[in-house]
Order: sequence, then C-alpha cells, then structure tokens
Amino acid sequence: MIGKGPWSQAPKATSFAEREFQVCIAARLVEDRKTYWVAGGGGPMYSVLLAKRLYTPDVIYVAEDGVVGAEPMLPFDPVMTLAAARPSYRALMWSTMNGIGDHCAAGYLDYGVLNTLQIDPYGNLNSTWLGAYGVEGRRFNGPGGADTIAAMCRRVVLMLDHQRRKFVPRVDFISSPGYLDGSEGARERAGLPAKTGPWAVVTNWALFDFDPDTRYMRLRAIAPFVTLEQVLSEMSFRPLMPSDGKVETLEPPTEQELTIFRTEMDVSGQFTDTAAHWIVKDGERWSVVAKEQSKKISPL
Amino acid sequence: MTGKSLRILDEGQGEYLTVEPDQFREWTGRKERALVSKLMTAAEAVSRFVADGDYIVWETNYLNRGPATLIREVIRQRKQRLWAGGKFTWVVVAMLVEAGCCDRADMGFFVGGPGLTRAVIEKRLKVYEYSNLVMTARLRAGAMGVSFIPVRSLGGTDNFKYSGAKLLEDPYTGKPTVVVPALNPDVALIHVHQADQYGNARIFGTTITDVESAIASRKVIISAEEIISTEEFRHKPGLTKIPYYVVDAVVHQPFGAYPGECPGHYSSDSDHVVEVLGAINHDRLKQYLDKWVYSVASDEQMLTERVGTSKLRELQRRATMVAVEGYRA
Repeated sequence: MIGKGPWSQAPKATSFAEREFQVCIAARLVEDRKTYWVAGGGGPMYSVLLAKRLYTPDVIYVAEDGVVGAEPMLPFDPVMTLAAARPSYRALMWSTMNGIGDHCAAGYLDYGVLNTLQIDPYGNLNSTWLGAYGVEGRRFNGPGGADTIAAMCRRVVLMLDHQRRKFVPRVDFISSPGYLDGSEGARERAGLPAKTGPWAVVTNWALFDFDPDTRYMRLRAIAPFVTLEQVLSEMSFRPLMPSDGKVETLEPPTEQELTIFRTEMDVSGQFTDTAAHWIVKDGERWSVVAKEQSKKISPL
Repeated sequence: MTGKSLRILDEGQGEYLTVEPDQFREWTGRKERALVSKLMTAAEAVSRFVADGDYIVWETNYLNRGPATLIREVIRQRKQRLWAGGKFTWVVVAMLVEAGCCDRADMGFFVGGPGLTRAVIEKRLKVYEYSNLVMTARLRAGAMGVSFIPVRSLGGTDNFKYSGAKLLEDPYTGKPTVVVPALNPDVALIHVHQADQYGNARIFGTTITDVESAIASRKVIISAEEIISTEEFRHKPGLTKIPYYVVDAVVHQPFGAYPGECPGHYSSDSDHVVEVLGAINHDRLKQYLDKWVYSVASDEQMLTERVGTSKLRELQRRATMVAVEGYRA
C-alpha cells in the first residue's frame, strides 16, 4: 500500500516513539498534487506537513476554519494548531467554515485525515461518548469538523492508537460516518455523496485499508517492532487479511523524518510524550523501553 | 396534496429551535435603521441584549478572536437557561454549564470532561448532536431567511438521531438527501478587529460563521479591539464584513478575546489556556471561574489585576513579531 519510496534508501532511525512512527507512516501515504482537509492538531496535521516538507511538495491542505494552502509558521504554539495566526500564515485564501464546506461538497477536496477515539470494522468513528450514550460513561468533544470530512472527502485516512478498547466491533456512537452497516450503498442511502469513505487506518503499530467488496477493515502491514499476534491481540475484532495472505512490514522512520518532526513540529514533545514507550533498535533486535506516563494534556 | 407530498424517509428526534422565518422578519423589521451610536460597556450590552432563556451563538472563544469578555460578562451576570449553539466553541460550553447559565446545547465541538458528563447524566444539560459544519449550514440558512437547508453530511450517523435533521427524497434528483432546520439565534456575540460606533465591522483573517451569525440573529453584540471612524469604512467599503443595521450594541474592548488570540494584535496566553483546559479535565472549573470571572467586577479589572500589563505587552509583542500580514487594513 505504501511500497518503496525515498524513505527506503534513507538512513533509518534506531530510537523513536510509537507516535512518531505513526506520523511517518501516515506521511508516506500522502499523495502529491492532491488536496487534503486535515483535522486540527496532532497526527493528521503533522503527517501532511511532514509529507509536504519531504515527499509531496505540491500537496495543498485546508483547515476547517477556512485556511486554504497555508505555509504555516512552525512550530505552532501549544494547543494552537488551528484557527490562529501561525497555522494560517502565508495562506492562499482565508475563507470561512461554510466556504471550506462548499469546496468539499463540490468535490474539490480529495483526502481527509482524522483522529478518532474509537473505530469499528467499517470505519465508523466515535468521538462523542464512550459508554451508554447519555446514561453512563464519558462525554467527549463531539465530531467538530470530522463528520463533514468523513462524509464528503473522496478518501479518508483515520489515525488512532492501537488499543483493544479502541478497535471495537461496534462503536458506542457514530459521530462520523464510515461505511455505516457495511452494506453496499449504505452511505448513499443516508444522503452522503457517492464514491467517498474511509481508505486507510494508521496506528502506532499497523496499517489497514478496507476490502472493496465488503468494506470491512483489512490488515495490510505492521510495524517492524511488533508481531502479527500482538497486533491482533490489541483489537476487539479480527480484521480481514490480505488476499495473498502477505502482511507487509513497514519501514521504520528515517533520521531525516524524525529530525524535521522533532525540530519543526512536535518541538515540545507534547504529542509524542503521551506515548508510553520508546522503540529502540539494539543491534538487529527491536526492543521496547517503558517510559513514565506523561501528565501533560494531550493535543486536541 | 394530490399525491405530490414530499417523502420523509427518516428523521431525528432532537428538539430544535422553532423555525419561523416570517416572525424573524417581523423582528428585523423593528430594528433601528438610522446611523445611531450603539457604543456601550460590555456589562450594559449583556444586561440589555442577553435574556434568560436565549439561544446564544459565538465561536472559537479562547482560541481565535472569540468574544471572551462578553462570555465572561454573561457568566458574571448569571444569565440562566441559555441554549448554546456549540459550533466550534471549545471551552465555553463547559464554563457556561458549570456557571449554571446553560441547560441546552446544540453540539458541534466543545471540550467535554467530567463536569459536562455529569450534567448530561443528571439531566441538567440536554445536548442535541450536529457537527461544526452542519451548525454553520443552519446559520447560513437562517441568514438566507429560509427554513431549512440540504447538507451532504450528517446522514447515517448517530448525530442524526439526536438532531432536528430529516432525510428526504430529494424532489429534484429522487435520491436521499439530508436537510437541517435553519437557525435564527436570539443573540450573537462577536469579537472583531475594528468597528465604528454604529456597528459596521471589519474582521481580518478567517471566520467560522460570524458573518452568517450576525445576519441570522435577532440581537447582535459586537466587541471590537478598535473603534474607528465611519469615514474609514467609506474609504475601504470592501473590508466591511458586518453591516451596522444588524448590530444592536458596540463595545470597545481591547484584549476582548483574551486569553485567546486576536491575530495581528496579540497572541494567545497559552498558560491561561492550559489552565482552563486543565480545569475542565480535572473538574476545577468552579475555582477557575472564581479566579477569573466572579472575583473581579469587569474584564478591565481582570486584565489589570490578574494578568498584568507586562504579560499583555508580551502577548502583543509575540503577535506582531510573527505575522501581521493580512490583519491590517
């Protein structure tokens, strides 16, 4: 799904956080000369910025507050990655939320990139409520712009942590649409534009796509520092396997990817600090070094 | 109907603000048309134009050019039973709920946390589910003077079930299409870069839906970093984003978006923002509101005594060091 690229020849890093790995993988999925609608902050925006810096200079991204084609002033202030002067810097256009919505509904925005709290095999997302809606559990932030991105971009890339409680057979609440019940034409029957939907899922351990016939999540590749058994054990449903049975191994981050990410993007470590471990290559073996859980607030 | 009725395929169960475009027109028909000064203080504007039970809209508060002073004044005056239009609203719904000001919210995006969860479970807060863009579409419809608008999103989600949306057989294509009710709020709070005494207003940079909200709302309170002469508007009329006749009150409020950013003027106070996010996540909003709202008589006192001029100067310096391009006339 990713295949070979400039990263294949570049010197590889031997020590990194899992979320850094995730951002690098998502960056390698970015397609040049396309338009992206990225969710504010965290993995989605960092992935597209990293790709634009290293691999796909002609990618253009928009943000839901109306910014089109920014050349942002990096690094961002903490928690100010959207709707602020630095991320809006040197844009081609300052529009409005309805303006960006029009561009997307009219078909001009090719890819969306989103974070989510919880996902199911059909790529439905929950960012509203964990637990029984309105009765017990916890209220979260809601879809924000994600519902629109998931509904109307042509292809959607989804990012989340690889944890059993996040990959569930059925999300507690559909905040943003995937393939809904998975039946053919379900999105169109619900009023969504044709030929849209989830395209890839990128976690800190693995890469998935969706089987075109069943629209069910399919494992495509795993990180070099985990086993297939580990990947499957941290999911509450079993994904489809590639039709040729061959699960690829993803290449680790390059030194260059990490240097740019650490010096221009997540300079405070706010994003990566929330990961619990460092991955370290010791000779030919990958090992996991536990790190004390940070108490910092995660990016929004 | 002679067999020509519209087919409703599905509909949400959420209560929504009654849609009455003709009544809205009756209201706007009574508003002042003459160029008269509407300058007043934040306290007077909120006292006169925000009523208990109002449906209230604002956006990106504590983030980017939000009406932070006006919201704090709403909390200080202990308004009650507000219905919040939560499109891209971040921290403020949690503050309003903690303060006992708000018992209903239309959801787009707001920071949740334990206090809001409790309010929902204990039925002190009723939430209706939309998304940011669906909320802005509803406001656009309100500004168009129509009663509903089709959208290409929301369908198939659980938001739909808890909203005022309907799934129709589109009378033109025959395909399923989602429509949502127009929104004409009682009051919009908007912070701008520049306004004149009548309410003509300039905004530089992006907006979520401030312009649509101004036109769609019955009452509009503008707070402005700078009050400039009407003559300046006449020199560059293309920069006017909001026309005076929709505006009811103009408040001159330097640092009116604090602790958020007002691009070109001052940066966000990230320490303060982290403090309020921490207060929401760790259930300390009461202490936060005591410190920043209740224990001071006005934002002027808060800025002087709680923030201090050296901090304010630093925030100005950070903003003007970075990027003023595009944020000046």
